[in-house]
Amino acid sequence: MVSFLVRRLIVSVLILLAASFIMFVLAANSGDPLQDLRTTNAPNREQLIAQRSEVLRLDLPVPLRWANWLGGATGCLVPGAQLCDLGRTISGSAVLTVLPTAMSSTVVLVTGATVFAVILGVLVGVITALRQNTPFDLGVTLFSFFLYSLPSFLIAVLLKEFIAIRFNDFLVAGGRLSPGMVLGVGAVFGGAVALFSRGTRRRRWALFAIAAAASAATLGGLSLSGWFVDPGLGPVGLGLGVLGTAAVTVLLMDAWRGRLRWVTGGAALAGLLGCLLVQGALERGSWPIIFGVVFGFLGAGILGGFLAGGQERATAARIGGVVLTAAGLLAVVDRFIREWPAYVANPRVSGRPIATVGSETPGLTGDLWTVGMDRFTHLLLPTMALMLISFAAYTRYSRAGMLEVLDQDYIRTARAKGLPERTVIARHALRNTLIPVATIVATDIGSLLGGAVIAEHVFAIPGMGQLFNTSHRLVDLNPIMGYFLVIAIMAITFNILADLAYAALDPRVRVRG
Amino acid sequence: MLAGLAAGALALSACSTDDGGGGAAGSRSITIAATNPLTSLNSNNSEGNLVENGMVQFLTNQSSSFGYGSFHILDENFVLDPQEQIGSVEQLSEDPLRVRYTLAEDLEWSNGEPITNIDMLFAWLVNSGWADDAELDADSGEVTGGTVYFALAGSTTGLDTTDMPELGDDGRSLTLTYAEPYVDWELVNPIDLPAHVMADEVDMTLEELETFIREIPRGDPAAPAQVNAPLRAIADFWNTGYSGNEMPEDERLTVASGPFKVVDMVPMQSVTLQKNDRYPGADDIQFDELVIRFIGDANAQITALRNEEVDAIYPQASADTLTALEDLDVTILTGDEVGYDHLDLNFASEPFRDRDTREAFLRTVPRQQILDSIVKPVNPDAEVLNSQIFVPENAPYAESTARNGYDAFTEPDLDRARELLGGATPTVKILYNNENPNRVDSFQAIKNSAEQAGFVIEDGGSPDWSQLLSAGDYDASIFGWSMPGIGSASLPQLFTVGGGGNYNNYSNAEVETLVDESQRSLDPARVEEIKVLIDTATATDRFGLPLFQLPGIFAHNDRVVGIEYFGGQQNIIRNAPEWSLSAQ
Amino acid sequence: MSDQNRSAESPPPPQEFGDATPARGFGALVLRRFLRNRMAMVSLFLVLLLWLGTVVAIGLGPLPGLWKHDYSTLYPQHAGGRATLSLLPVWLGGEGIGLGEHPFGQSRIGQDYFAMTMRGIQNSVFVMVVIGGAGTVVGTVIGAIAGYYRGWVDAVLMRMTDVFIVIPTLVIGAVVGRTAGGLGIWFLAVLLALISWMPVARLVRAEFLSLREREFVEAARVGGAGNARIIAVHILPNAVGVVIVSGTLLAASAILLETALSYLGYGVQPPEVSLGRLISDNQSAFATRPWLYWWPAVFIVGLALLVNFVGDGLRNAFDPRQHRFRLRRTPGTRGGGRASSRAAAPPATEPENRSER
Repeated sequence: MVSFLVRRLIVSVLILLAASFIMFVLAANSGDPLQDLRTTNAPNREQLIAQRSEVLRLDLPVPLRWANWLGGATGCLVPGAQLCDLGRTISGSAVLTVLPTAMSSTVVLVTGATVFAVILGVLVGVITALRQNTPFDLGVTLFSFFLYSLPSFLIAVLLKEFIAIRFNDFLVAGGRLSPGMVLGVGAVFGGAVALFSRGTRRRRWALFAIAAAASAATLGGLSLSGWFVDPGLGPVGLGLGVLGTAAVTVLLMDAWRGRLRWVTGGAALAGLLGCLLVQGALERGSWPIIFGVVFGFLGAGILGGFLAGGQERATAARIGGVVLTAAGLLAVVDRFIREWPAYVANPRVSGRPIATVGSETPGLTGDLWTVGMDRFTHLLLPTMALMLISFAAYTRYSRAGMLEVLDQDYIRTARAKGLPERTVIARHALRNTLIPVATIVATDIGSLLGGAVIAEHVFAIPGMGQLFNTSHRLVDLNPIMGYFLVIAIMAITFNILADLAYAALDPRVRVRG
Repeated sequence: MLAGLAAGALALSACSTDDGGGGAAGSRSITIAATNPLTSLNSNNSEGNLVENGMVQFLTNQSSSFGYGSFHILDENFVLDPQEQIGSVEQLSEDPLRVRYTLAEDLEWSNGEPITNIDMLFAWLVNSGWADDAELDADSGEVTGGTVYFALAGSTTGLDTTDMPELGDDGRSLTLTYAEPYVDWELVNPIDLPAHVMADEVDMTLEELETFIREIPRGDPAAPAQVNAPLRAIADFWNTGYSGNEMPEDERLTVASGPFKVVDMVPMQSVTLQKNDRYPGADDIQFDELVIRFIGDANAQITALRNEEVDAIYPQASADTLTALEDLDVTILTGDEVGYDHLDLNFASEPFRDRDTREAFLRTVPRQQILDSIVKPVNPDAEVLNSQIFVPENAPYAESTARNGYDAFTEPDLDRARELLGGATPTVKILYNNENPNRVDSFQAIKNSAEQAGFVIEDGGSPDWSQLLSAGDYDASIFGWSMPGIGSASLPQLFTVGGGGNYNNYSNAEVETLVDESQRSLDPARVEEIKVLIDTATATDRFGLPLFQLPGIFAHNDRVVGIEYFGGQQNIIRNAPEWSLSAQ
Repeated sequence: MSDQNRSAESPPPPQEFGDATPARGFGALVLRRFLRNRMAMVSLFLVLLLWLGTVVAIGLGPLPGLWKHDYSTLYPQHAGGRATLSLLPVWLGGEGIGLGEHPFGQSRIGQDYFAMTMRGIQNSVFVMVVIGGAGTVVGTVIGAIAGYYRGWVDAVLMRMTDVFIVIPTLVIGAVVGRTAGGLGIWFLAVLLALISWMPVARLVRAEFLSLREREFVEAARVGGAGNARIIAVHILPNAVGVVIVSGTLLAASAILLETALSYLGYGVQPPEVSLGRLISDNQSAFATRPWLYWWPAVFIVGLALLVNFVGDGLRNAFDPRQHRFRLRRTPGTRGGGRASSRAAAPPATEPENRSER
């Protein structure tokens, strides 16, 4: 294991070296860093050109300049010593100070997009696999192909128009949905449910009616009660959330039996009560309180489950932990959502919360909830733009994976044993579907980092992609190489992690030294 | 589960910000969008010489010799607008040229330190290159020996002939004496970054700095001296210490003399300026805070304006930008920028050695059509530019256009062109930037027309056009000059042999003499006359054709009142202190 | 890792040892499966139709087209440059079905936008075909050599692949595109191909690693065939499925790569046009002169969608147990390769073939 890692690392460093050389040479030859100076008619043009040529060492041949850069970059390998030097930008900022700020936005963006794309993609992929060849499956497949073929800047422009501007207009106009809108959404939702289901035509029509009515009623109720202006989960939302988590947990762990039923029920009840109790403590946003709440719930759940679990105390502790942690997180999310009206009313936001540019409102200050909400409203659209593209790939992958797995002998064995279908899916099939998806995350990170170049351009997010794009326009090599270093190291790390994850998840793969 | 992840993502996103106090100061705040991010708080050195840096420093201090925190700015007609509350300028004598600068009483930097003539002395030291003893290679401009201390974005021309200034005893005045007359003496603006900060940097008091500067001998390239260590330290600080896009922890870097001071910088995102209460005209400013957000994409700027994330924008102008803005409920201001696109003929190239061929080619250029398709959709009042030296805002433009004859080249005259060619079909390679849609479209239009007259047009478009410009492997070139809109220092660059901007190898002895005279003349009327003569002589030589001034668009919502169009480098913020918030 | 597992999913091995062609039955089978895939067939037909349509309209090279305008000439502004295409018949309140003078409108200097869009389609398809073609050739050669020879050859070639894969395609594409954009579309397409062959190489290598262990290869070797002959004549025809499928998907991603690069301004340079270039130039026309924006957008999405359908159909045709994962990593372990080789990403080709958008 260790020797495997060491070998991988050595090879990775060599790869990094070669790739950095290629990148440097290509970037250096891609344009003229003196372009702006050549066309100024400043009286001291020659002198300006000479100064910049000297700073950028344009007198040296490109490979030597690369060696120079490499010398500075190698210093970063020595921890503690102040040798790290990635050079300065044309405008004189040290790349080392520019990089971290640029990274923070991009990391949030790419992480968020990956997490949501994996969750939604796998969810939809698995569901379509289970409902193979229904109209729903066909619709989703077509839709994912469509997303897959959509240039991301198109998605970005559409998101800005429909989610940001229209939604903000909607809020400014009072936050009430029109009856037509409510009915329309209800019909669409009902249609999706009906297409998704299997059964007779009659059953489908019934499902359509029920689902459409229920969703239209919920939406209409929310709209009339002014929920869009002053949202929150409320006790009902919290209760549904906790119960839902409990149900999913029971399903996945196959724990709807004996004493575990009581443990689950108790955990759900305790979680709900706990949610309501900690609301006061969460009023002020601070990390210690948030972590305290979440880990407190986790600990309480594990302990309670362990004590109440009797013979199955291990399973019970897991159930307790999961359900109560979910409750704790829900409490935090609820508090976060309740920040909304105050945020919208903030004079710097002035009633139009969903932002189309930047990663924060300049000059906005406040506690964790305010600042967090600000980040949320700014990163929502770019994250969605990135997510929608990856989502398509994950959907198709997990659908294919699920179909493959369902065809395996051990699934047949499990079914033959008489296990209920949901146990077969949840315990046997799902896990094995997830194994290859784990490795895809690694390759997908690379494409997301590329996609971030465009998303950050369209949404004016000051991230790595933007840094690359603007530097590339100026043929400003040092920041380009700084960008390269970060993404290359990220790509390599994720690939090593993917290999390790694969080895960990799939017992058939061994990591050899 | 989803909820948990949402919280997790949130946690990630919020962890880099710290808690602050309440934020209700937004009500008297104006937010504008700029295209490129701020990179430095000193726009006067070569690293920081970017438009956006200059715009900020124009409000806090002085940039490229204009600024609210200094002796003058430009008014909307590109005429010097003296800033009386800062000080006054007085010409004492013409021969030798002596000029006295007097600061207003009780001026203070934003940190409370007084603004004195030592600040002016330091500004002179920086801008005159007094101590520089470097020898520059005539061709490449590279330093071959000696030292250049301050890496100026501007030029030392003019001030380099001044003697060590005399300081008035009142601590408020400074007198410059020029060894030679200097045409642009009025543009000299001896206020720069604060001297006390520089003194602090090398652990001197202000008085010690004064003595130190006074004792610096004039640099002599013929006999380079040892590097002056304290001066080197000060110059290094001035050259690089202000670079960076993060809010500096060092408060000295944001000390301002103008109506605003920088209070916050978020890298690549925004810069926040706050009213400087120590500025003499501070009470007249009707708002407290100016936020400049950086949005590179023109469409993103429009969306942001529409979503009320910014109050004013000046996006890259196009017909679509204009139409998109017209659909919104905003005020739109259009006009010309001082920069202009032009077609130059390479006098050293085979076909264009001959004046008739030059004229034949110029006769085919459809300038009106180019203007109609590129500029008119944005600025319906635009007219074909008829001068290589003046823009219509300049008073002598009318006289110059009456004499130089460019107006005869507004519409193509293909018959005359064919006649001049006499059946010849010269091949013309046109160099232009094919990444710039305006130039591409100009090229297409010229090509279409010139081919009808018998020219064979070779497409020399390249993203590396700027490198190719000086290489000379082309017959004609389309590119743009960015102009300050005032001053005469660019004449030798453009029209003399060996001038840095004379890419097309233009040479005319008469013009050389005129240019030479212009640089030493102190009589504004004579300078203008010379410029008209040069404009006419180059036109007669069939130097090339000015095509059009780039159009500009400003747009703002009804929260803000008082924004005026300005096509110069200070752009939308030229009259920022006059803005106000509408009563809502 | 097992060979049983493997053989269940690979094309059946040819029956006649030493025969130069794979079993004809297999090829016919694949063809039949592909032909039966309606979606893929219709897509392929539409792509070809679209391309032929552009040729008929504006010609190709020396071939003249039927359309009255060409893409670079300037015409006087007609109807304010608006699109004159009308699809609403008169009896529905429209102006009747007709093309008009400039069906897709005019650019701001008066070029015919229909001709420009057609030219854009040709160029985008050209870039797509060159990237798909050249990328597949390079990738196949590298993957085949690496997979066949294994050992240090494999190690070197695969590390070389890693070197290129470390940089996101869009990023290196932007760098390359900026250099090549001004040098013409040929140059751009070839250079982009040189940076997008990696996924093909990995998949082909994995296929070769497995195929080289088969009995028919052993038989050919015993029969005295040289390495080159074994690679080209015996193994390659059996790997043709992977090659074709990954090549098609590479082509589909190439369209979006070109679009993204042009959008950022690093792709095809004017006066030459491409679909991405047209969108990029007319971004600001999104709300005001939508026809300038949406026509190229429709064609980009359409082309990418169609090519993806073709690729999907081909994959299904070659691998009848469609959409299947092979839940195993490279078989190379058995031959002493590294267990963890990244080259062994699951052969379902999508993610590796994706361009970053």
